[in-house]
Amino acid sequence: MEGGPADEAAKAVADLAVDASSGDTQSKNARKKELKNKQREEERRRKEEEKAKLAASKASSQSQKPGAADDEDMDPTQYFQNRLKYLEAQKTDGKNPYPHKFQALMSIPEYINQYGGLNNGGHLEDVSISLAGRIMNKRSSSSKLVFYDLHGGGAKVQVMADASKSGMDDAEFSRFHSNVKRGDIVGISGFPGKTKRGELSIFPRSFIVLSHCLHMMPRQKAAPGSENANVKKTELWVPGSTRNPETYILKDQETRYRQRYLDLMLNLEVRHIFKTRAKVIQYVRKFLDDLDFLEVETPMMNMIAGGAAARPFVTHHNDLNMRLYMRIAPELYLKELVVGGLERVYEIGKQFRNEGIDLTHNPEFTTCEFYMAFADYNDIMELTEKMLSGMVKELTGGYKIKYHANGLDNDPIEIDFTPPFRRIDMIEELEKIANLDIPKDLSSVETNKYLMDACARFDVKCAPPQTTTRLLDKLVGHFLEETCVNPTFIINHPEIMSPLAKWHRSKPGLTERFELFANKHELCNAYTELNDPVVQRERFAEQLKDRQSGDDEAMALDETFCTALEYGLPPTGGWGMGIDRLTMLLTDSQNIKVLSLSLSRVYLHAHVQSCTWM
Amino acid sequence: MEALNMKVLTLSSQPLRHLLRLAASSRPPIRPNLFFLRCSSSSSSSSPSPAAAPAAAAAAPAAAAAAPAAAAASGRGRRAASSSSSTSDREAVRAIRLKKVEELREKGLEPYAYKWDRTHSASQLQEIYKHLANGEESSNEKDQVSIAGRITARRAFGKLAFLTLRDDSGTIQLYCEKERLLNDQFERLKTLVDIGDIVGANGTIKRTEKGELSVCVNTFAILTKSLLPLPDKYHGLTDVDKRYRQRYVDMIANPEVADIFRKRAKIVSEIRKAVESAGFVEVETPVLQGAAGGAEARPFVTYHNSLGRDLYLRIATELHLKRMLVGGFEKVYEIGRIFRNEGISTRHNPEFTTIEMYEAYSDYQSMMNMAEEIITCCALAVQNKLKIDYQGTEINLERPWRRETMHNLVKEATRIDFSDFGDDLEMAKRVTLTTLGDGLDNKDKLAIGSCPSIGHLVNEVFEVVVEPKLLQPTFVLDYPIEISPLAKPHRKHAGLTERFELFICGRELANAFSELTDPMDQRGRLEEQVRQHNDKRAASLLKGAATEEKKEEDDESYEVTLDDDFLTALEYGMPPASGMGLGIDRLVMLLTDSASIRDVIAFPVLKIQQ
Repeated sequence: MEGGPADEAAKAVADLAVDASSGDTQSKNARKKELKNKQREEERRRKEEEKAKLAASKASSQSQKPGAADDEDMDPTQYFQNRLKYLEAQKTDGKNPYPHKFQALMSIPEYINQYGGLNNGGHLEDVSISLAGRIMNKRSSSSKLVFYDLHGGGAKVQVMADASKSGMDDAEFSRFHSNVKRGDIVGISGFPGKTKRGELSIFPRSFIVLSHCLHMMPRQKAAPGSENANVKKTELWVPGSTRNPETYILKDQETRYRQRYLDLMLNLEVRHIFKTRAKVIQYVRKFLDDLDFLEVETPMMNMIAGGAAARPFVTHHNDLNMRLYMRIAPELYLKELVVGGLERVYEIGKQFRNEGIDLTHNPEFTTCEFYMAFADYNDIMELTEKMLSGMVKELTGGYKIKYHANGLDNDPIEIDFTPPFRRIDMIEELEKIANLDIPKDLSSVETNKYLMDACARFDVKCAPPQTTTRLLDKLVGHFLEETCVNPTFIINHPEIMSPLAKWHRSKPGLTERFELFANKHELCNAYTELNDPVVQRERFAEQLKDRQSGDDEAMALDETFCTALEYGLPPTGGWGMGIDRLTMLLTDSQNIKVLSLSLSRVYLHAHVQSCTWM
Repeated sequence: MEALNMKVLTLSSQPLRHLLRLAASSRPPIRPNLFFLRCSSSSSSSSPSPAAAPAAAAAAPAAAAAAPAAAAASGRGRRAASSSSSTSDREAVRAIRLKKVEELREKGLEPYAYKWDRTHSASQLQEIYKHLANGEESSNEKDQVSIAGRITARRAFGKLAFLTLRDDSGTIQLYCEKERLLNDQFERLKTLVDIGDIVGANGTIKRTEKGELSVCVNTFAILTKSLLPLPDKYHGLTDVDKRYRQRYVDMIANPEVADIFRKRAKIVSEIRKAVESAGFVEVETPVLQGAAGGAEARPFVTYHNSLGRDLYLRIATELHLKRMLVGGFEKVYEIGRIFRNEGISTRHNPEFTTIEMYEAYSDYQSMMNMAEEIITCCALAVQNKLKIDYQGTEINLERPWRRETMHNLVKEATRIDFSDFGDDLEMAKRVTLTTLGDGLDNKDKLAIGSCPSIGHLVNEVFEVVVEPKLLQPTFVLDYPIEISPLAKPHRKHAGLTERFELFICGRELANAFSELTDPMDQRGRLEEQVRQHNDKRAASLLKGAATEEKKEEDDESYEVTLDDDFLTALEYGMPPASGMGLGIDRLVMLLTDSASIRDVIAFPVLKIQQ
């Protein structure tokens, strides 16, 4: 095949060599090269011939096999090898097994929409349609009639491949379709129709394989007759309703997270989880855009990891020889932009925390933070209610969602997003429920002692260092958060727990802050922003004390940020929400890995080597 | 005192004050310095203004002319002054303003208010009352307005004060008459409000005789007391480093800087609109990865404590988005941050933002249309026209854009037809060097000499000779296969791929291919890429050892590994598809006429300050 171009090239080289200055030696070289090229070319041809022979013998052995069914019993490695050989043979025949493009005229959902109303047994032979998708099921009725399920765009349609309409002779048809495997991506041109039993189908006039599935696709392990049950389950899952992963074709969690594409191919609901996630983000964005918020981007790598209390990832910039931290929160930068005059800003993006991994924590996660000048935490609470209830309503059709909070074995609970949400005052409520009388000066040694005793009394565990902040956090977790199944604002946190929140306008020692809990997990965290630079520096100094007493999650001082406050941050309400956690609630997901594309197996199996992907 | 005059006064009075302050601060004793600052920042109203005001009123043009001169002088003066004196200057201002904070608290007023309810933004008022005639006042019930923002200028006289208030949308004047303000509010305004403070005000609307729309203030409140003096515009512009380090100061001093970020938001939103209306779904793929693939670049490395292993920051989103296509999504995109551990420049920041998008069943031809669509939509959204100016060059974004193959572009520029050489790399290099020799510098010659294939050579020549000349939008098509490890072989031309890059103003804006879907071919190409990288690495290690040049060694010392998971995904079958990556920072630079990437990134990475 390439003899022509190679010869031409050699000739061109020879021509050029004559023109070139050191003509003689050069043309010798050129001749040598030409010779070499020829040798190489010959060797290549010989190899190809060998391959072709091999493939031919392979193909003939394959054509003797009855059909698809047998493949399924094959050893997976053997299956893979066979597929590779088939492709090799195609290439040797000069056929490109991976075509460049296929023009699908409509998507499968559009097709169903348009032709779903046909009468049983009806055909529209003069209509020409082309569809593309992945074959997820193959049933050979005879050597002249093969049925496929074609999946695409979250829907499926039957393909009824009939030799008499294929434009191929029977032998050709049979040979061709014996090489179409479950998992292959195909392009079909044909006409629409319904079977007598009412199944919408496409009847191909041409059928090409666009991409090949070289591996055996996992299959539902069930009685042979019930195979259809999974595919038939066309009833669409909607956000806010429950899911049952026990019924999935691919159940193995490890495989599902490691090879997310298989999860998506085989378990149809999974794609809706990702779509729901996209819709959640879309809703938040639209909600804020409509209020004239500006979407901005702040650095993910900083010299100081500020804005939250967490252990950061550390990295190094070679050229600048500079140590950088991955951000743990965008808060300080966003407030600097408000100082700069952008009165309403938000950022939806990844945060990184170098912490252990569990069902609701992941080293990288997505948050939305917004800052709104001239607003306070009361305004923000109202906005939160409006945003979340509106979102749940739009995505699910109502305010109540079902969630398997206690595992799949127990009945799902109901979470009610009807506004307004319950509000409880943190310290007041804690004192009431636990029957405590916490000393008013929260930063005193006396209070620390009191809370240590309280924790001991209620058997609430708090690992050292037992700072007042950490003790309070544990007690609140134990007594208050447990009661927050329906969305609940816990408000007015103590100053010592909230270094970036403004002191309460009427309650000494407390701040104007709220956290929104749902299903006992924190979804949002917000406050009237502390904008008094003097007080901010004092709070950072307090944090430093905690740090020195061993709490390495206390916040670090950011000098640039403090200087920004000295230029004047307007009164501002700020807010942060965990996108992953909210999506978990709306998709009945119990493990953050279920929905986060970003949950690569690295987090599941540290020992597994290359660990990319969703 | 009318507004037009006042404007002149603002211009002239502020720089003058700086001059005076400098004069004061250069004197050794601290006392007079403090004393002066007190007058300038708090009660400039009573002493200097009466004198300055009539002068300005009488000779406005003269003052206007004098203003820039004074400003320039002050700018130079500031730079000339030692940094310690300007620091003590700031410290003095801070001390005075902290006293005012105390004073406010003593009066029972909170200098850091909790909230303010606004009825309008400045630009809304300018729009609503644009027909109000000069000297006319609108004081009906419905004309009671409430606004808030930062004070950027103030002039106060006996019973009258003018403040310029700027909010996110624009500016408006506050017209403060002693009689209209409650109780001692006028005195408070004169003594406690400084330029830079954030203030809320209620009042009615009036256009002054000179035509300045104003809010006639009935009540006001200091919402946030600022502690540091705002730099003047000229200073802010000259100190480039400070602009990036303290972006908020830059934005306060130069409102047009904030406009760039508004436009950036608009552009990103337009891109999203364009791709979502075409049916693309937004997804997020991981930043932290076990192997950094999808491009060739030095990655950032970090360490996960509880897993006890190294992780890489992504250098592209490509390989994960393609897995989504394998998983059955047919149109996906991600707008996200990419990280490359490379030097910083006016075109490079270690973290930058791209959109990558993938569409099943399409090829690179359709991605060219998509690129045109996205960029023209964005241009119209922020500039409202398609013939735009970039750093003095007119760029015509009207469709269709030129589409030409890399080989033809190189041939056109050099008269060398690289398809003539076949596999003869030596010959090709020789011809290249003789033909272009004079125009090349040593670095280019070296690069040409070390090209391992004709494909690399064509690309090298393209980058040196053609790229800088591609000012008008040009799709460069059909890249050599050797430098395109993820692109599908060209359906017609052996040795080439179905790939394009889009160039505007000599810069690459987008990169796209018909995606390689053949897992065997892909494995071969990635293995070749790893092999080439390791060769280079070994070579530079050798060289490094020989010459003791640590720097050289560093360039290639990172590891490139094969992403086996990605290859497995391809083995499950990826539909024919096209994909494109588009650099959002560069697009924003183009559409906001910004010379440096640092102008379009709010907080760029900078060298450590000495």
